[in-house]
Amino acid sequence: MLEIRSDVVIVGAGPSGAVAALELARAGMSVTVLEQGDWVAAEEFDGARPEWELTQLSKWHPNPNVRGRPEDYPIDATDSEVNPLMFAGVGGAALIYGAHWVRFMPSDFRVRTLDGVADDWPFTYEDLAPFYEYVEESMAVSGLSGNPAYPDGAPCPLPPLPIGKVGRKAAEGMNRLGWHWWPGSNAIPSRAYRGLQPCVLRGTCGTGCSDGAKATPDRTHWPEAQKLGVRLVTGARVSEVETDAQGRACGAVWIDRNGIRHRAQGDVVILCANGIGTPRLLLMSGLAGRSGMVGRRLMMHPYAGVMGTFDEDLESWVGPAGQILVSMQFYETDTTRGFVRGAKWNCMPAGGPQSFRAGYTGGTLTEGWGPALHDSVRRKFGRSFEWGIIGEDLPVAENRLTLSENLTDSDGLPAPEIHYRMSGNTHRMLAFHTARAVEAMEAAGAIATEVTPLIRDCGWHLMGTAVMGDDPETSVVDQFGHVHDVPNLYVMDGSTFPTSSGMNPTATIMAVAARSVLDLIESRGDIAPSR
Amino acid sequence: MPLTPEERTRLEALAGIMLPGGAGMSGASDVNLAQDPVDRVLHIEPALTARLSRFLSQVRVVRTMPDVETLAQQDPQGFKALGTVLANAYFMHEEIRRQIGYPGQEARDSSGGLTGQDLALLRPVQERGPIHR
Ligand SMILES: Cc1cc2nc3c(=O)[nH]c(=O)nc-3n(C[C@H](O)[C@H](O)[C@H](O)COP(=O)(O)OP(=O)(O)OC[C@H]3O[C@@H](n4cnc5c(N)ncnc54)[C@H](O)[C@@H]3O)c2cc1C
Ligand code: SF4
Repeated sequence: MLEIRSDVVIVGAGPSGAVAALELARAGMSVTVLEQGDWVAAEEFDGARPEWELTQLSKWHPNPNVRGRPEDYPIDATDSEVNPLMFAGVGGAALIYGAHWVRFMPSDFRVRTLDGVADDWPFTYEDLAPFYEYVEESMAVSGLSGNPAYPDGAPCPLPPLPIGKVGRKAAEGMNRLGWHWWPGSNAIPSRAYRGLQPCVLRGTCGTGCSDGAKATPDRTHWPEAQKLGVRLVTGARVSEVETDAQGRACGAVWIDRNGIRHRAQGDVVILCANGIGTPRLLLMSGLAGRSGMVGRRLMMHPYAGVMGTFDEDLESWVGPAGQILVSMQFYETDTTRGFVRGAKWNCMPAGGPQSFRAGYTGGTLTEGWGPALHDSVRRKFGRSFEWGIIGEDLPVAENRLTLSENLTDSDGLPAPEIHYRMSGNTHRMLAFHTARAVEAMEAAGAIATEVTPLIRDCGWHLMGTAVMGDDPETSVVDQFGHVHDVPNLYVMDGSTFPTSSGMNPTATIMAVAARSVLDLIESRGDIAPSR
Repeated sequence: MPLTPEERTRLEALAGIMLPGGAGMSGASDVNLAQDPVDRVLHIEPALTARLSRFLSQVRVVRTMPDVETLAQQDPQGFKALGTVLANAYFMHEEIRRQIGYPGQEARDSSGGLTGQDLALLRPVQERGPIHR
């Protein structure tokens, strides 16, 4: 059994853990990071190989239950309308994220005040803006500044990627309707940037970037953090956060790949294991239970899509994938629509030919085969693109995770069990938005449209399960991620989000992590820099 | 474990029905799909072999799509494996890719950024002004 001691112990090496570790190391603190996954080299991804569409069904699948790698923990989602998705590795789920980079909108932080639902955040867009800017520099965000959806135009450090034939087609449709659109911003460099290669538009971002372009923490953060002395232990699955006799967090126990337990001690423990992994660990450790909110208010962003097919070649397998355009036309509340809050749209390429082989419409199993297959691929392949719709998922206490009594991971630790239903508000929201997206496609000249009202494998965004707030009776952490009940224990991932917004969350997860960890560094003079 | 000659014959029959060719695309038999192209897929994803073999073991006489449908209903998981193997073997085949104009997920230069045409399209959006609350 190993015993490691450092000033700070962090669980999880994804984007949030990377921000926390790097700032602490820059401030001179010693840091140990425990990550159940491994390093993944760019050459391991299949994007540049012909089998790209084959292996995304298995080893690069975003659902850990399908992927089934030893470092993954399984998830019981039988009682959920949506499957949580993630990846275990140095870089976390960002290794396979789409790198859509969007800030939350100012209204997202004030939904109680503006719309009378859920809760306001303890801070505002303006409070967070400098932290967005800070993390955007590190994440090579390419995009066009001046987006009228944001008061400050959401500036981007790098110029935008091309929008290509797909983007122009989509934009023409939006212009005909007088609707908002903007070139997509992505954590993908449009030119060589701090060790990242320029994007080559390969369009395989969602199964890993084989070209070393996409900004992921294994490239943007961990090399510098390790140079500064951060000890990053891979293959280390944390089973428990430990507390001392005074009830203060003092370290974590982890299990290595051979099943051997080790201990990492620290003055501070920070959980960055995502909106499922963090509450799972709190529940396994029996900590932070005072409010009863650990695991509750799970938000996963139900996702709908509208595919349009056109009568011309749009080369719609070309990347990035990545978002080509965004639209916030219907983002803000308009109660005449029959629901509150809204959704962001992202225009996406349609991928390879296999996206068009199955026309499963609930009919026969063979209906997508035979002459129908050839016909479908000929009509749609290269000629189709999607408007994807990320609907704001409001927090509901009943949407939650618990610990499974039947399912365990490869170390015998209880798997999370998900209980999750879409609300009536979300159903109405997605119905409204898909109808508008059909109009957008038709205005662009689509000859056919297909609506997918909900994609089950869409739990990319995991939020809300250790909610922040001022009141220890109703929230788990304070606005800087400090667990109310447990001195020295912090949460710095999306678990703390009071609401989900209708935006991809990583920009905000990293900005909030930066805000929290810089506050920790400033306020905790007692954790003396050890070097 | 490679497919047995018997399994391959059954696979050929299924592939001929499921991928008959058309719309300017070759049929499975034109490109010998049940030979090297299928082996290539099973080499990359060996886990598919057992499910495929199980499905093939049930195949007797198949001549039409309804025959395939009957088999599929009996073993949907096995049929899914069959579909994965055939579709990937087919669309990984260079000849098929050439026919549908798909170079694969190729690398391109991204440095061009937005064109003048793109910026002109953006003008009305900019002119309408802020849309945030
Ligand atoms: C397919 C996919 C596409 C996505 N696309 C986008 C996008 O386009 N834009 C966007 O903004 N967001 C996207 N996301 C979401 C984005 O990836 C996450 O928001 C982001 O990775 C969260 O960062 P994190 O560090 O908080 O958590 P994660 O990235 O999930 O990292 C948590 C890490 O903790 C580790 N861990 C968990 N439990 C333990 C334990 N007990 N012991 C040790 N280690 C543990 C995990 O292995 C993991 O590496 C996508 C996600 C997926 C899955
Ligand atoms: S589109 Fe760019 S970022 Fe995405 S996988 Fe390709 S090279 Fe990487």
